[in-house]
Amino acid sequence: MISLSFSLAPEALYQLHDVLTCLAKFHDTVAIEAEFDLLRLSVLNSTKTAYSAFVFEADRFFESYSFDMPRASRNARSERFCCQLYLKGLLSVFKGKTGGRDKDTAVERCEVELHERPDQTECRLAIKMICGLGVIRSYKLTYESTTVNHAVFDRTTATNQWTIEPKFLREITDHFSPSAEQLDIYSESGKVIFTSFTTKITDGKEILKKPVHTSVAIDKKDFEYFLAEDNLHIVIFLKDFKAVIAHAESAHSAITARYTRPTRPLQLAYDFGGIKTEFTLMTAGESDLGISDSSHAPELSARQTPAPVNISRASVASNTRDMPAPRARSIRPLTGTPRASARGTETNSQSQRPPPASIQFDSLFVPADDDRQWDVPNEEEEEAAEDRLGWDATGDQVWQIELIC
Amino acid sequence: MRFRTQLSNAATFSKLTASLSSLGKVCWMRLEDGIVRFTIIPDQGTQVWAQLPVDAIFEESNYILEANAGVINLEVPVGALHRALRSAVAATSTQLRLTKKGNVPLLALTIHVSSWTTGSNALGMTDSDHAALARQATTTSRPGPISGPRERETVITQEIPVKVLHESAIEGLHEPRCRDPDVHIILPSLFQLKSISERFTKLATDAKGSATSAVVSPKLELSANMHGSLKLAIATDALRISSVWTDLVNPSLDPGQLSQTEIEQLPSERMRALSGDDEAGWAKVRIDGKDWGRVLSVGRLSPKVVACFIHETALILYVYLPGSSNGEDSCLTYYINSYAA
Repeated sequence: MISLSFSLAPEALYQLHDVLTCLAKFHDTVAIEAEFDLLRLSVLNSTKTAYSAFVFEADRFFESYSFDMPRASRNARSERFCCQLYLKGLLSVFKGKTGGRDKDTAVERCEVELHERPDQTECRLAIKMICGLGVIRSYKLTYESTTVNHAVFDRTTATNQWTIEPKFLREITDHFSPSAEQLDIYSESGKVIFTSFTTKITDGKEILKKPVHTSVAIDKKDFEYFLAEDNLHIVIFLKDFKAVIAHAESAHSAITARYTRPTRPLQLAYDFGGIKTEFTLMTAGESDLGISDSSHAPELSARQTPAPVNISRASVASNTRDMPAPRARSIRPLTGTPRASARGTETNSQSQRPPPASIQFDSLFVPADDDRQWDVPNEEEEEAAEDRLGWDATGDQVWQIELIC
Repeated sequence: MRFRTQLSNAATFSKLTASLSSLGKVCWMRLEDGIVRFTIIPDQGTQVWAQLPVDAIFEESNYILEANAGVINLEVPVGALHRALRSAVAATSTQLRLTKKGNVPLLALTIHVSSWTTGSNALGMTDSDHAALARQATTTSRPGPISGPRERETVITQEIPVKVLHESAIEGLHEPRCRDPDVHIILPSLFQLKSISERFTKLATDAKGSATSAVVSPKLELSANMHGSLKLAIATDALRISSVWTDLVNPSLDPGQLSQTEIEQLPSERMRALSGDDEAGWAKVRIDGKDWGRVLSVGRLSPKVVACFIHETALILYVYLPGSSNGEDSCLTYYINSYAA
């Protein structure tokens, strides 16, 4: 039988609540993975364009943490336990100020235990809030077992990178219209420009209903450092970006962004007090800008699969597009209207239903059992080596330095 | 066709657009030499005809207007304009111009905002520092470099799609004409009036029950006389409530525009002749509670408001913005129809 139990101090409970609030902005179920030295909460959104993960270090975040897995149930390749829960349920357990109105019965400790018995049909996560005056609130949440996918992101190959206080980013997003859907980021001669836009196809007559374009330019000096290729446009969903900023601001952590080029993932990350966060977001944009540098070509061919840039959300039914890499060009942030040709492309790609799942797994997400997660060095290096071979072939080995602005 | 200017008073412009956007989605903006007009004509409800001297919101010295007839008529999504102007409220400078992207005409705001950092950012870092940091960054997370506070500048551009209207499209639009009012009076604090009106409307809605209230919003009865009294009342089957203000001002009319005999023949002078406790001296209108609440949102501009009552016909509000310079008043005129009893 698998045993997992841990306990949390009140301070950690606040942090856990903030984390759950952030995760709930991506999807409605959270995957929990327990390993010997860490607990990971992750959410993959329904369109598989955004993966967010919080890793809690066993010895720093928890008051106590114990995890054991009998040898029999250990998978040859995996020594961890995975399950998934509804975020709503979890949030209601951890909601609000744990101090509450009544100081006497404030939560003093939280104990969580996993009840996993093969002879019982129900799998439960038991949470006990130990409060003042001997009050104990207990909850039992049903979970279901699952396999967990992790987004592949190789930090070592990220050619563009910057770090900034989330406060500055929030000031930027405050200027955007609440209905804006996407965000284009690029830099140009000392400035970094954030543009919000919506690729809404409007009738030519309905000019007044066209979305407002907002762009905000800040100095590169506002960044702790900014190392990205000038004029490289990268497009992500504004909603995801805002969710990350809100959490980073509550955690008082500077956000680091890493990316290579449009149609490849962008990762936002920050670490604080025993918690490691990462948000891997699929990007769109003018991919030819990135490949205009001939040295990028080998990487493309080494991959051999088009990235599943499924950048549209299913909820925006009228706007659903599945965008294989080359088609991402239809997003043109800096022109007010999608050109006729771009519109044509979009309708084309609309008829192309989602790419087969296998392709998706190949390129962005790996099922944990087949291909251990990104942070396992071996396979990553294999992949990176492939890329690096390509780089070597072009004789262009100074790419990392070359891009410093 | 060319239009470019600097905003001189973004806060007023922003509040003005906020008040206008509560009454309609689309606004007709007419740029003339020396005057800017904003007009809202909703399908239903109150019309607003606003006229401002250029310097009330723009810098007159930077007001560049070039067009065939010396006039540019625009149809503007006023809600979007208001949202965009919110970015400009704390700005050091804001430029507004008419431009075009593809086939779409735009009102483009270019906003410069300066602020001071609290001082935890990279100031005067050299490129070699950057490179060193980049190498570190891939292996460890580290605290940001420490430096003193510094000024930072942010440039925000907001592009609002608009429609340029041809003169023929607006030929048929005229400001409503009404007969001379029976009573004119300066309204008390709009904030007070608004909160009491809203409370009355809510009480009447609650009293009516759920079935009908959703469809028809309750009607307020607003009446006034020429002896400084204003009455706000609401009546339903279940209740009848009213508030009365006294000692308000009935402004005198400009003798420069009308002769003494003309003034004496005005209906308002006849009303003034009646005694203060005579019911006949009151002019009354019946207005929609919700619409009235939206009209009163103009209170955010802290204006002086003269209400003109045309008995059982209409209520006209002349809303004068404070601090209008060089004698020329900024005035918003609201035309509110009276409902039949």
